[in-house]
Amino acid sequence: MPITINEFIDDPKCNRRSFLKACTITAAALGLSDAMIPRLVEAAANPQRPPVVWLHFQECTGCTESLVRGSHPDIARLILDIISLDYHETLMAAAGHQAEKQLHETMEKYQGKYLCVVEGGIPTKDNGIYCKIAGRTAMDILAEVSSKSAAVIAIGNCATYGGIQAADPNPTGAVGVWDLVHDVPVINVAGCPPNPISFLGTVLHYLTFKRLPPTDQLGRPLFAYGRKIHDQCERRAHFDEGRFAERFGDTGHLAGYCLYKVGCKGPETYANCPAVRFNDVGVWPVGVGHGCIGCTEPGFWDTMTPFYERLPNVPIPGGGGIVASAESTGKKILAVAGAAVGIHAAVGIGKRIVKGKSEK
Amino acid sequence: MNYEKKYVWSILFRLCHWAFALAIVVLVVTGFYINDPWTNTWLENSRTFPVADMRYYHFLAGFVFTAAVLVRLILYLIGNRQERIFNALPVTPGNVRNFFSTFAYYGYATDSHEERLGHNTLAGLTYLFTYAVAAAQLVSGFYMLYPESVTWQSWGLPLFGTQQQARFIHHLLMWYFLIFAFVHLYLLVWNDVRSPEGMISSIFNGYKFKPKHDGSAKA
Ligand code: HEM
Ligand code: HEM
Ligand code: SF4
Repeated sequence: MPITINEFIDDPKCNRRSFLKACTITAAALGLSDAMIPRLVEAAANPQRPPVVWLHFQECTGCTESLVRGSHPDIARLILDIISLDYHETLMAAAGHQAEKQLHETMEKYQGKYLCVVEGGIPTKDNGIYCKIAGRTAMDILAEVSSKSAAVIAIGNCATYGGIQAADPNPTGAVGVWDLVHDVPVINVAGCPPNPISFLGTVLHYLTFKRLPPTDQLGRPLFAYGRKIHDQCERRAHFDEGRFAERFGDTGHLAGYCLYKVGCKGPETYANCPAVRFNDVGVWPVGVGHGCIGCTEPGFWDTMTPFYERLPNVPIPGGGGIVASAESTGKKILAVAGAAVGIHAAVGIGKRIVKGKSEK
Repeated sequence: MNYEKKYVWSILFRLCHWAFALAIVVLVVTGFYINDPWTNTWLENSRTFPVADMRYYHFLAGFVFTAAVLVRLILYLIGNRQERIFNALPVTPGNVRNFFSTFAYYGYATDSHEERLGHNTLAGLTYLFTYAVAAAQLVSGFYMLYPESVTWQSWGLPLFGTQQQARFIHHLLMWYFLIFAFVHLYLLVWNDVRSPEGMISSIFNGYKFKPKHDGSAKA
């Protein structure tokens, strides 16, 4: 009989090895020296580590999917190992009343100690009725579960900044966790989906050092979101030397040149994708020929679209309309100014012809 | 009518004007290039760095631009009478009157206008607004130039939003400068045609020609 994946990862030798490997990858992403790896391993293996409650609201479960479906079992395995998920709607075996009971038991037993992970946006319009679980609104559940937790980790663009449902016109009034939770620390592991390593790094940092990693002003951990994509991109040399793909499939694109002219948002996006990459096989969007769409930035569905243009079609505040593009608006104003100047000059000349040169 | 030569613009003011104007020309050209690089090398090992170079000139001009704005700020406070901020603000009855009469003059409603040494109040206010836009332009610029700086982030985020939004605003504001320059040049020529004070040359040599006051004129 062929060996199954479960038997493979249950093999204790293999398990230990992949466990150490995943800890090492994460330590590297965190920018820690290898002297710190034993501490990370110790924290991750500690049976006393805090449990994790994982809440799902307005989302597609893509973040969970990307966490547990690594092509390599190391990372996924470590995640499932260390975060001993006491409540995770996608992964737990319990359902219905059983699940609710589990959630409340964890909240009582580990009050002020457990980590709360939130995936998905929270609708606030009409008292939050657009997302309900077990008859309670997402707002309600979040307020209760977060207030008893030690810290909240918002995962994905939806939980951090509202995500796609918060895109204009935001019919359900969706917001991110940090717009609602102010009494416990909140950290934003942004992205659509975020890199599993960034999530793991945040959790391991908390387990090891008993505090969340330092963040930027948008609440994102600096170890993963401290630098722009564009400043670490492997195509940057092509950018500096002016070699671009003009459109998808042209000579420049086939040669692997810079995707700036087909709308790459790397110059406006903070993330570690070029350094950490995805799926354990060293790929990331720009690496495989598609521009960055800026999924780690607040409001990216509004500000980064159209994805294949440089600048957004954002609504002008107060204007109500949408500028088709900054360019054409500017040109129109310049044309109007030109016409105004022309008319002004013509009136002056006309008046002089009619009235004659004024005496001075 | 007799005219006399009057010293209006200090040397620092004139240097500041030209640094500002020339920096803007460079910034607009390189800015357009950054938005949509119109060259494409498609040739490896050509040892040219068009995009890096254009960005470099943009940033260099950006620093000149910033210096000019800062110098002008100081002149608003300690410059000569024409250069001070009170000359531009409609805070005195004379300045308020001048503001409205300038509209009448520019609207061909009247041919007479007040002989002022400095800017008329309408122009003064427009320039003040232009420097405010310039301040926004340079803060958004430095925010993009130093993306990893906590200091610039703490200015940039509340003022402009994310890097992408800052870039969009930076781009829109560029059009303000284009339109300003266009109208500015038109009105300068218009004034030069309508009045013999020599407005255009004043920004080169600092002097304007004003009617001699009969009472105060010395024999
Ligand atoms: C009147 C003044 C200025 C004008 C008209 C101007 C114009 C522009 C334009 C059109 C862009 C391209 C944005 C886009 O569409 O993608 C740009 C980018 C940029 N500008 Fe300016 N700019 C001005 C002043 C400054 C200043 C003072 C600085 C600060 C040093 C600055 C720094 C930048 C930076 C860092 C970028 C992004 C370049 C990149 O990431 O490749 N700009 N500017
Ligand atoms: C050939 C080009 C130019 C000439 C001959 C010129 C000439 C002048 C003159 C004569 C003044 C004083 C006007 C008055 O008394 O009201 C002035 C002021 C000014 N000009 Fe220009 N200008 C030129 C280009 C530009 C450009 C391209 C810009 C920027 C876009 C610019 C920005 C300004 C500003 C901001 C002031 C106000 C000065 C202050 O009070 O600080 N100029 N210019
Ligand atoms: S592909 Fe995108 S991130 Fe990479 S250099 Fe070009 S513009 Fe920058």
